Amino acid sequence: MKIAVPSTEPNLNGMVENKLGIAAHVLVIETDDMSFEVLNGSQRSSLPGAGVQTISLVMDMGVQVILVGFISPDIAKVLAEQGIEIVTQISGSVAKAVTNYMDSQSLNSKLKNDELPFRESTSKDQWIAAMKKGLRQFQSILPLLVGVILLLGLFQGFVSKQTLLSFFSGSAVLDSFWGACMGSVLTGNPVNSYVIGKNLLNIGVGLSGVTALMLTWVSVGLIQLPVESKALGIRFALVRNITGFIVAIIMSFVVVWFAGGSI
Amino acid sequence: MSPKSDSSVFMALARPWLFPFGVIGLYGLGIVFAPESTYRALHMSGSMFWQLALPVCLALIMMVVLNRFLSPAVVTLFLGRNAGLKGVFLSSLAGILSMGPVYAWYPLLKNLRDKGATEFHLANFIGNRSVKPVLLPVLIIYWGWYFTSLFVLVSLAGALIVACIVSLFCSNLQHSQ
Repeated sequence: MKIAVPSTEPNLNGMVENKLGIAAHVLVIETDDMSFEVLNGSQRSSLPGAGVQTISLVMDMGVQVILVGFISPDIAKVLAEQGIEIVTQISGSVAKAVTNYMDSQSLNSKLKNDELPFRESTSKDQWIAAMKKGLRQFQSILPLLVGVILLLGLFQGFVSKQTLLSFFSGSAVLDSFWGACMGSVLTGNPVNSYVIGKNLLNIGVGLSGVTALMLTWVSVGLIQLPVESKALGIRFALVRNITGFIVAIIMSFVVVWFAGGSI
Repeated sequence: MSPKSDSSVFMALARPWLFPFGVIGLYGLGIVFAPESTYRALHMSGSMFWQLALPVCLALIMMVVLNRFLSPAVVTLFLGRNAGLKGVFLSSLAGILSMGPVYAWYPLLKNLRDKGATEFHLANFIGNRSVKPVLLPVLIIYWGWYFTSLFVLVSLAGALIVACIVSLFCSNLQHSQ
């Protein structure tokens, strides 16, 4: 379970802040192993609505519970409708607040079981919960996904393949670079890259350029970068795509070296 | 609810849609200034949405099944830091067998990461998507056996190298206790 707690410090030893909008940091804690991520909160000088921005961020991260000193009842009501539990009047250290909450949860669950010894969470309930969670996870990425697909369509509609082909000069190193660039911006079924690659080879583009295009076609995505960043973090997306680009160029030379001009 | 907090919550919910609506705005401009290219772009987008339908359904079903049966402990066991060769094999196989555009799989990968999968395994999954078993016959017909074998081998090796570098630079990003 993920719990969000506004904190005075970027670690579990910080004190729980009274309001989300004034917190210097917001910890998103995974209760299974008490690991956490730190979000930089709004500063005390922030304008009204800073709390809502923070709430929006933690909602995107799939938080199920927010522990805080105070929250507006109106916002709490909206969050409850989204399936997020709000616990107010929390103070003391973040670690203690989370531990107390988990203890109270297990006590509640025990009491419930004692009162209703034969009532257990049914398989149907668990499937519904899993489905709701899956939809919520997908929903958080949906707007960016739609935007990126529309952007890809726009790129492919306005930039012709002939324009992209004009970049190839015949130099192995440059062709490899431009091949990797082309593969990074174009998308679609990989079969297209096999066909385009073969045609490029036939019109004189070097094998390294063609291989780099085919390698980056699937593994590097410049236009998809915002969606990947949203899902897996900007650092992950940048490092993976930049490394993938460089490795594709190096591997294209490896292919040429092994092929020895036989293709 | 006060009108002020009403509008704030509306803004928080609407903000993620600003980017797609911005792109729709570009289409609007395109229709005015370059209608032919814009219609081609619309056609391209339409076919991409259509291609996305099946993989998204597949990814959603897998996410529901994972949410239902997989606990963070299980994911950590198979795709966590100590998963060893088993983790490399599983993430490679999953990447090779995954179909459709990569963006259909991001929600599933996010789910796995939240449950304890490491950056290495996520990057390895994405890298191995370059190898498509169902498309190998086409690759062989177009390029021959020798190039196909080389291409598959460098794709697998490249995926592993990228995964190692990603792991090196991003391993302390999550679960930073």
